[in-house]
Amino acid sequence: MFFHIILERNMQLHPRHFGPHLRDKLVAKLMKDVEGTCSGRHGFVVAITGVEDVGKGLIREGTGFVTFPVKYQCVVFRPFKGEILEAVVTMVNKMGFFAEAGPVQIFVSNHLIPDDMEFQSGDVPNYTTSDGSVKIQKESEVRLKIIGTRVDATEIFCIGTIKDDYLGIISDPGAAS
Amino acid sequence: MSGEEEENAAELKIGEEFLKAKCLMNCEVAIILEHKYEQLQHMSDGGADQVSQVFEKSQGYVKRFSRYKNPDAVRQVRETLSRYGLHEFELCTLGNLCPDTADEARALVPSLVPGGRFKGDEKIDKMLNDLSLIKKFE
Repeated sequence: MFFHIILERNMQLHPRHFGPHLRDKLVAKLMKDVEGTCSGRHGFVVAITGVEDVGKGLIREGTGFVTFPVKYQCVVFRPFKGEILEAVVTMVNKMGFFAEAGPVQIFVSNHLIPDDMEFQSGDVPNYTTSDGSVKIQKESEVRLKIIGTRVDATEIFCIGTIKDDYLGIISDPGAAS
Repeated sequence: MSGEEEENAAELKIGEEFLKAKCLMNCEVAIILEHKYEQLQHMSDGGADQVSQVFEKSQGYVKRFSRYKNPDAVRQVRETLSRYGLHEFELCTLGNLCPDTADEARALVPSLVPGGRFKGDEKIDKMLNDLSLIKKFE
C-alpha cells in the first residue's frame, strides 16, 4: 500500500552552500539522498512531496558542516503481511512465479498456486488449469495476498499466495492477442 | 519488527506510524507522481532524466492499476467511501481492488467483519454500488 507520511532526517550541509538559497540546497540534497531508497521500517520512498519544517542548524565541531533536522512529507510504498494487492508477473518457472507491484518483488511458490494449475514449460513457461481456461504467464496481472515479508536494511522482498478465495489471474495477455 | 507485535494487514496491525499516516489509493498516487514528474521536466537541469528506479516502477504500476483516471472521480471515491466509517487502509484496499460482491469485499478486507460495523450484506452492497456508479459516470 502507498502511504503519505511525514518523516524526519538530519541533513548535513557544507558551509559553501550557506546563503540566500540555503533552503533550496537543503531540499535538493534531501531529494537526492532520500528518493529511491528503501528502509525496512518505512518501505520504499517514492517521492518527496513537500518540506514541513527545517529546524535550527547545529555546527559540527571540527568540520564546519551544519546539521539541520528536516521534516518532510513523502509518498512511500510499504507492503504488509496480509495485504491483498495486484501485481504483474515478471518470471515463471517450475518453482513458482515472480511478480512485481511497483518497486517490490513478490514470489509465489508453486505450493501456493492452486493445485489444479500445472506448470507448462516451453517458449512461454506458464501455469495452466487442466481445462486450459486459466493461464498465468509473463505479463499476466494477478491479484495476490502477501503472506510474508523479508526485510533487509535496504530491501524488502515478499512471499505471496494466490491459493485463496478471489485471488489469482485478473487479466490474461494471451487471451487478448 | 524490533520486538513489536507481528504485523497483519488483515487485522489492521500495521504499526502505529502507518496507522496514523494517510493511505493512498493507486489512482491518487498516479496523480501525485504525474504532477511531480511534470515539475521535474520543467527544471533546468533535465531533472526528469534522473528519476529513481523506484519512482519509475511505482509510476508504471499505479498507471496500470488505477481504477479511476479522472481526478474528480478519484476525489469522489474517497469522499464516498469515507462516509462508511472505514479505516484508511480498508478504504484504499477497496478503492484499489473494487470488489463486485459483498462476499468478495469481506474476503479481500477481512477487518470489515469483526466489530459489527458491517452486519449483513446490505451496507456493503450499498457501498460497492456507490463505487460502481462513480466508475460508470467517470
